[in-house]
Amino acid sequence: MKSKTLREFAGMAAALGNPATRSWKKQGRGVMGYFCSAIPEEIFTAAGLLPFRIRATGSIGTELSDAHFSNLNCSFVRHCFNVALLGEYDFLDGLVLVNSCDNLRRIYDHWTSQLSTSFVRIMSFPRKTGPPQVDWYQRELTELRSGMEEHFGLEISDARLWESIRLHNETRRLQRQLYQLRKTEDPPISGADTLAVIVAGTAMPKETYNGMLRELLDELREAEGITDYRARLMVLGSILDDPEYLRVIEDQGGLVVTDSTCFGSRIIWKDVREEGGDPIQALAQYYVADRHSCPRTFGEHERRAEFVREMIREFKVDGVIGERLSFCDQWGFAQYSIQNDFREDGVPYLSLEREYILSGVGQLRTRIQAFLETLEG
Amino acid sequence: MGGKGRQLERTVEEVQQFEAILKLLQDNPDEMSHLHIPLVKDRLETARRTLECVEQGKPFVATWFTNAPEICTAMDLHWYCQVAGAFVAAIESPHMMEDLEGIDQLSVPADCCTLLRLGLYYVDAGILPIPTAVVALLEPCDGVTSLHEAIRTHRDWRDVPMFAPDPPYLGDEKSIDYFANELREMVVFLEEHTGHKLEIERLVEVVEESNRQYELWLEYSDLRRSAFCPHDLTLAMSAFAVAQNNLCGTPEGTAWFRDLVADAERRVREHRPEVAHQKIRLLWYDIHPVWFNELTPWLQQEWGANVIQSMLTYCPYTLIDTSSEDAIWKGLAKRNLLDTPMIRQAQGTVEKFVYDIERIVKDFSIDCVIWPGHMGHKDSAASVSVMRDACREIGVPFLHLGVDQFDRRYTPVDEVKNKISQFFTAMNLG
Repeated sequence: MKSKTLREFAGMAAALGNPATRSWKKQGRGVMGYFCSAIPEEIFTAAGLLPFRIRATGSIGTELSDAHFSNLNCSFVRHCFNVALLGEYDFLDGLVLVNSCDNLRRIYDHWTSQLSTSFVRIMSFPRKTGPPQVDWYQRELTELRSGMEEHFGLEISDARLWESIRLHNETRRLQRQLYQLRKTEDPPISGADTLAVIVAGTAMPKETYNGMLRELLDELREAEGITDYRARLMVLGSILDDPEYLRVIEDQGGLVVTDSTCFGSRIIWKDVREEGGDPIQALAQYYVADRHSCPRTFGEHERRAEFVREMIREFKVDGVIGERLSFCDQWGFAQYSIQNDFREDGVPYLSLEREYILSGVGQLRTRIQAFLETLEG
Repeated sequence: MGGKGRQLERTVEEVQQFEAILKLLQDNPDEMSHLHIPLVKDRLETARRTLECVEQGKPFVATWFTNAPEICTAMDLHWYCQVAGAFVAAIESPHMMEDLEGIDQLSVPADCCTLLRLGLYYVDAGILPIPTAVVALLEPCDGVTSLHEAIRTHRDWRDVPMFAPDPPYLGDEKSIDYFANELREMVVFLEEHTGHKLEIERLVEVVEESNRQYELWLEYSDLRRSAFCPHDLTLAMSAFAVAQNNLCGTPEGTAWFRDLVADAERRVREHRPEVAHQKIRLLWYDIHPVWFNELTPWLQQEWGANVIQSMLTYCPYTLIDTSSEDAIWKGLAKRNLLDTPMIRQAQGTVEKFVYDIERIVKDFSIDCVIWPGHMGHKDSAASVSVMRDACREIGVPFLHLGVDQFDRRYTPVDEVKNKISQFFTAMNLG
């Protein structure tokens, strides 16, 4: 990794604490943790808080959270709560969740009973994408806004919200530019490094991040591309915040050129409306209806599938790797439909189960190796 | 057999099975026959009506017990549940092993709920009658939402219109209003696709009838508090089935409830419970496994343990205000979002788990709580410490088993019995 900027991003993705967050806190400013990409970071930024997406980077065990969750629960949730119980999230001034899944929604219950974070809210996120659902989420977000105003003693004005929306849209636009560079025959950045860049963006102030990302894009436009790969791959799945997982794939010669994950393209591919009416309505419209959903949302499989097909075409993908965290029911059943789609479309597909913490690397390498061989015919 | 024939194969078989069971009960009446016969007749009638709908091209729907069955009753619209095929008269389907092998062929991971994988298998194998329309269920778990998305896009079902009421996570007033609107939308959908209409006057009648059922259900539940609980759990499970399935809001269902209460009253009065020796009063805090018919007789005979309540047999039994149309919709929304067993506990934050355990233990003098820990129930798995702490707080022993309620191979029934025996012994019960 030659680029200094890329090394900085990688460093932020590789640990929970980072210089940007520490410096932010030193200035006496607050940090709002959140789970799930369905939660609008824009509101936190508008409130002057740093949005920090919860993950369990660096976790090595679940010994504390196992007293609260069982071995039927997904390892992402168990590791995240373990990290929280170890005090690594004590720097948070608040936490916001939605009922993302059966595993994650219980973190709210345990967090409120076991930890002393003073502001913890769970919102009800709709499972459909129609106008009544947008209205519903608008009300939820309005309540979140007033709850934050009251708790933190601040005002989240419409003007600040529009400003924040523009800032976050700028982040998404820059991130999409990064993806655009990967469409070329010799992409200047790997999938692992791209993931590090996106993950870093969920853990540092957006102004700083956007500046660094512009620098990186300038560097990459001049950089030599990657040519020594065996196949162009797309990764499809849920929570994947560990660049090392993709590095194992890429070390075998499969270059990950795009993805549809919730630390990936799904959260950056579209923008929030930048003007007109209520900014909270604009956010609700984006998060419920406009952006690409995950299988938690009912009635959207066709749109999700079309997005994946579009990615395959635009990024000249040779094969798709589906990654599912064990015990995730949403992706468990989605796999059935996805495999049927790919079978009909003639797209080579490899389905992988994984734990949150990178493990079984040898087996993973073997599966990737075999998949690449089938792609090479 | 292919096409429609294959779709109806199981339903035809079901009719034959229930006809045989009915004949057996009628030919060999005992003192419980009057309660069992109407239930078998209901299952027989449901299967027959499904056949009739398919053969005569009449509209019918696939839906779930928590999608306000009062509405289908009021619309005179026949329905079945996609996973009902896993059970025949509260015991597992004779095809269970064959079907379990079938689901292994699906590309759905084995850590997803077996019942829901069975639901998808039935669709994939073409052994469910394809309905005119589907009302999907998006609560209480992720699996059920994802199952319906998979069915909605399945090659054989993708042309079947599907509607899904969206359940909010919490139970405040605005959630109830929102869900009431979703139910109204559901009616619009059903009317459009089936041609059946909902008349409000008829809905009022049905809801009032279902209120009578709920009143009787509460009365029955109260009788189960008796030191000698009148019945084992089978009839309590049936009470739930009647109140929330095809007999919901029907005079036949109400008549059955009256009979149930009368039988229970008589048994309490005469000190003549169905389970003669009752030393341990047990709360089974989950749905019932398909192998329950093997476990409960053993519990009764070996340990004098009677299952007094379960997740499916206890709810607030709240009545619906029928004074206005708005009140009815809100009442239906509340009942189906917040009260219906299993949905009630699994949907929303964890307080209801704790509240219900404490309430049931206190009201029903429960000696111990068994949480089976069904492999598919991720939300309860994430609530285990809360349940354990609640039990510790009120001083009642708690056992976590770890089973698959639909696949006996996961934890063999003998192993379940061993665990329970060790638990009873360690806790000085029995």
